[in-house]
Amino acid sequence: MSLTNEQLSFLKKIVDSSRVWIGEEIGEDYSHDELGGVSGYPDILIKVLSTEEIAAIMKYAYEQEIPVVVRGSGTGLVGAAVAIKGGIMLETTMMNHILELDEENLTVTVEPGVLLMELAKYAEDHQFLYPPDPGEKSATIGGNVSTNAGGMRAVKYGVTRDYVRGMTVVLPNGTIEHLGGKIVKNSSGYSLKDLLIGSEGTLAIITELILKLVPLPEKSVSLLIPYAKMEDAIGAVPEIIRLKSSPTAIEFMEREVICFAEEFLGKKFPDTKNPAYLLLTFDGNSEAQVEREYDKVAGYCLEHGALDVFLVDTPERKDAVWSARGAFLEAIKASTTEMDECDVVVPRNRIAEFIRYTHELAMKYDIRIPSFGHAGDGNLHIYICRDKLDEQVWKEKLEKVFEEMYEKAAEVGGAVSGEHGIGFAKKEYLREQIGEEQIRIMRGIKQVFDPKGLLNPGKVISGE
Amino acid sequence: MKILVCIKQVPGTTMVEVDEETGVLKRDGVESKMNPFDLFAIEQALSLREMYGGNVDVISMGPGQAAAVLKEAVYMGADKGILISDRSFAGADVVATSYTLSQGVQKAGQYDLIICGKQTTDGDTAQVGPEMAECLHMVHVANVEQVVAVEKNDIIVLENQENYQRELRLAMPCLLTIEKDANTPRLPSYKRKLEKRELEIETITLADFADKDKKHYGLAGSPTQVERIFPPEKNMSSQRYEGDASELGNVLFGLLHEKKFV
Amino acid sequence: MGFLKVHQESVTPEIAEKMCEICPFHAISYNEGKLEIGAGCKMCKLCVKNGVSGVVTYEEEEVEEIDKSLWNGIAVFAEWEDGKIHPVVYELLGKARELAKVNAHPVYALLVGCGLEDATEELRHYGVDCVYCYDAELLQEYQVDSYANVVGDFVEKVHPSVMMFGATVKGRSLAPRAAARFHTGLTADCTVLEMKDNTDLVQIRPAFGGNIMAQIITPNSRPQFCTVRYKVFSAPKRTDEVSGHIEKMVLTEEKMQSKVQLEKKIEKPKTIDIAEADVIVAVGRGLQSQNDLTLVQEFADKLGAQMACTRPLIEAGWFDPKRQIGLSGRTVKPKLIITIGISGSVQFVAGMKGAECIVAINQDKNASIFDVAHYCFVGDLYEILPQLLAQLKGGTK
Repeated sequence: MSLTNEQLSFLKKIVDSSRVWIGEEIGEDYSHDELGGVSGYPDILIKVLSTEEIAAIMKYAYEQEIPVVVRGSGTGLVGAAVAIKGGIMLETTMMNHILELDEENLTVTVEPGVLLMELAKYAEDHQFLYPPDPGEKSATIGGNVSTNAGGMRAVKYGVTRDYVRGMTVVLPNGTIEHLGGKIVKNSSGYSLKDLLIGSEGTLAIITELILKLVPLPEKSVSLLIPYAKMEDAIGAVPEIIRLKSSPTAIEFMEREVICFAEEFLGKKFPDTKNPAYLLLTFDGNSEAQVEREYDKVAGYCLEHGALDVFLVDTPERKDAVWSARGAFLEAIKASTTEMDECDVVVPRNRIAEFIRYTHELAMKYDIRIPSFGHAGDGNLHIYICRDKLDEQVWKEKLEKVFEEMYEKAAEVGGAVSGEHGIGFAKKEYLREQIGEEQIRIMRGIKQVFDPKGLLNPGKVISGE
Repeated sequence: MKILVCIKQVPGTTMVEVDEETGVLKRDGVESKMNPFDLFAIEQALSLREMYGGNVDVISMGPGQAAAVLKEAVYMGADKGILISDRSFAGADVVATSYTLSQGVQKAGQYDLIICGKQTTDGDTAQVGPEMAECLHMVHVANVEQVVAVEKNDIIVLENQENYQRELRLAMPCLLTIEKDANTPRLPSYKRKLEKRELEIETITLADFADKDKKHYGLAGSPTQVERIFPPEKNMSSQRYEGDASELGNVLFGLLHEKKFV
Repeated sequence: MGFLKVHQESVTPEIAEKMCEICPFHAISYNEGKLEIGAGCKMCKLCVKNGVSGVVTYEEEEVEEIDKSLWNGIAVFAEWEDGKIHPVVYELLGKARELAKVNAHPVYALLVGCGLEDATEELRHYGVDCVYCYDAELLQEYQVDSYANVVGDFVEKVHPSVMMFGATVKGRSLAPRAAARFHTGLTADCTVLEMKDNTDLVQIRPAFGGNIMAQIITPNSRPQFCTVRYKVFSAPKRTDEVSGHIEKMVLTEEKMQSKVQLEKKIEKPKTIDIAEADVIVAVGRGLQSQNDLTLVQEFADKLGAQMACTRPLIEAGWFDPKRQIGLSGRTVKPKLIITIGISGSVQFVAGMKGAECIVAINQDKNASIFDVAHYCFVGDLYEILPQLLAQLKGGTK
């Protein structure tokens, strides 16, 4: 749909014109997200500043039946923040204020455009930790909540959902509502806030968030554990968890991917002699406590196939290891012409099987499928690389690989997406996995929130 | 080949402040760690041992706590740690430190090669390596990017100069200081930590030195005196230039000129 | 010079506890009724100043004082290579002249190499009182041991009060070697130098990566060695007339013979490593087309700068990904970064905010890059750059 001149000029009246872009003025960036597979331009882009402003825009959009897409910093990977049906795009990056730190309730109140890295730093400066730690640090908190992002510390601390206490939202008809609050417990009817988390902008617009913090652990040490085979590495994970130590993170990485990161960053990784690695982190309030935690695990690993256990204990060492880990996505991207990703989550004890399956698929379709991910929570990041394939072959192979992969994920009891969301790109796979009945319920929920189907149309569940 | 690596324990961060009242560094809550530059020296030594055999010892001067960095070096792969520690060394400046180290090194044994990091993160002087070499009457090469080869008694190294590199041949024993980022230091191994659990760090005190004259060490042996320490001026407030674009070009040129970039 | 004395008779367990707490280096301990100062002591004397009075005292020791009047002149090591004098030398000579004035000392240049006639003459245009020349074939190539012998010989014969070196790769290796030979002080990377009436040189230098400044003197040793980085001081104007005389120095062949043998010189491999670059010109989406890169490249070349960019330009395929600054690219810490047409996204800023000097050119006066830039130029890059280039071209004539 495209907006009429009258509609455009009305919107320009509500919002200061320096924050409005129309048609051609809209930058190319706003037509896609980080992965770029899904594209489309909005008719009008508005950088919003406040809940009230959003409410006013929504009220008008509701009246006029204009589709609205909300966008943070555009770091998504499944096209959720792309205006595939045109209309209005609300960008939240100017709503980037940290509003309140409540040290008595251990909460921080923020606007949705605050970046994850800004929040993390702010918390740390005040001796707190905001535990969710997704790889993309320049994502907005609003986006994190909308996808229920997970990240590296999920094993010990859980995911974004576990840290959202309350929120202010604008409903599609322009009404402002407060869901949840600073309260720790809540048994008062359906948890609408939890419906909103992970809803990818399809139900309401989040305009303020109350997030939970924890005291900042004073020490953290990572262990880099080399293995002769990926199976050995991943096979150790369920056992590590059984030891009842509580690592904050258990990541797995293949040598191939580490080498991409070396090339990409122009920096050598401290150890690349071995085909597979686990990277574990432990945190705590004293060196002794952290040491006690990792002693058990390190000892176990050495007795069960680990070739060594390296200590990553100083800022230099952490930087050498974690900067590579942080660059994996970009590095794989730089190693190929085009790629698509699969963000499945499987039970922890089925990871090894799943990774082996991706290796088989790579052989079967003669296509490169590097991967890395969160072994501790079963969330894998698998990338299918186009390399030199021509358009036709690439599309065909990609579709087949995806189909088989999601089928396998379902077979082992997994889910389509661990933390990136469904957006536009994974809709079909979601439907296949959860079935018509659950889709029907979701559609019903969508209908209640958004009877006219204006918010982020065509995403997560198909409207038709 | 017998190699000795000189390392130092430094404060965990360089973000230290001066206490305005006492004029002394505030170190409360600051943990210490191995001087990051020394990691490259250790890695160089270990890779030489891998190629040519021999052993790698590490030595450090400091209080008892400095044994921690020696142990860390052992976990990275060094064979033995030696600590030079004595109250008489207190307040040593660069020359006194270098002299003390050279005495300790002579006591520690005969080495073919002594390797230092390029500099430390606390002092930033890059002087201890060369000064030690002088005290040991040993030739040195600073800013070594790579050890090219060891041939019998000769070592061939690649030295970084500003605009080029020199391949230099010299006879051992000699001293090298290793350039930052010349290699990727290996990580300490937990496996080695278990194996070396019983390892004791050897301590050398003034009584073990050939030159036992207290006047040559610590504050008394230091020709320099720190009169005061103070925080640097922060005059990096932002300046804004607007207006005629070509005029702005001239202003920017002036700025680059003033800052000596052109 | 002195030492710390503990008066055990006045130590009680309570006092001991207090004293242990006072020491910022945890060097004081209390063992079996004895208060001890350990090897961690840095001689900050806080235990004397702030401790329980009289428990620890600072005892002065008689030190034989040297006769400073025997040491005269400020000498500058005139780093020379292949017929060229390193430009830092002129800056040092300028500073040396200022320092020398205080006590009416002469200014010397110490020139070492082979075939030094032209270089000697050149130095005489910078107000030296004497150029000491060690001119020999064996000294053609710099080697630290033979050059240290030369400096040693010079110090023994001339007795300068101050020896100044450029903090170049060579200077930072040679100066400490020579200073240790005379067991005297060397202060590296001085940013401020002042002369006292008693010929003591006040030297101020950064430590802890520049977070602390230290003021250092060498009260009872000579010569006083220091190194100064290139471009810290300003070079004086070259005078038309010459000054000073030339002293030809000789050294035994044995002392000029180096134990280090040059095998070969190698051009530095030209790798793109923006992380190591001193000067960076970074471009962003403000650039309208790929063709405009030529303009920026020309500017970067004039500055001897590496080109870098933001993520969108990598995605547009204009640059090698190795040139991307930011969270997902490289972190840079240059002396100077000039950002052109970059709005200053958080991703980008995270990768460059450690730069010593940040100059930003952007048309949008609200661009967030201006929040971190030290010098903000609000204007059209397509007007500013050509003017700047014209100036730069004029300047090189």
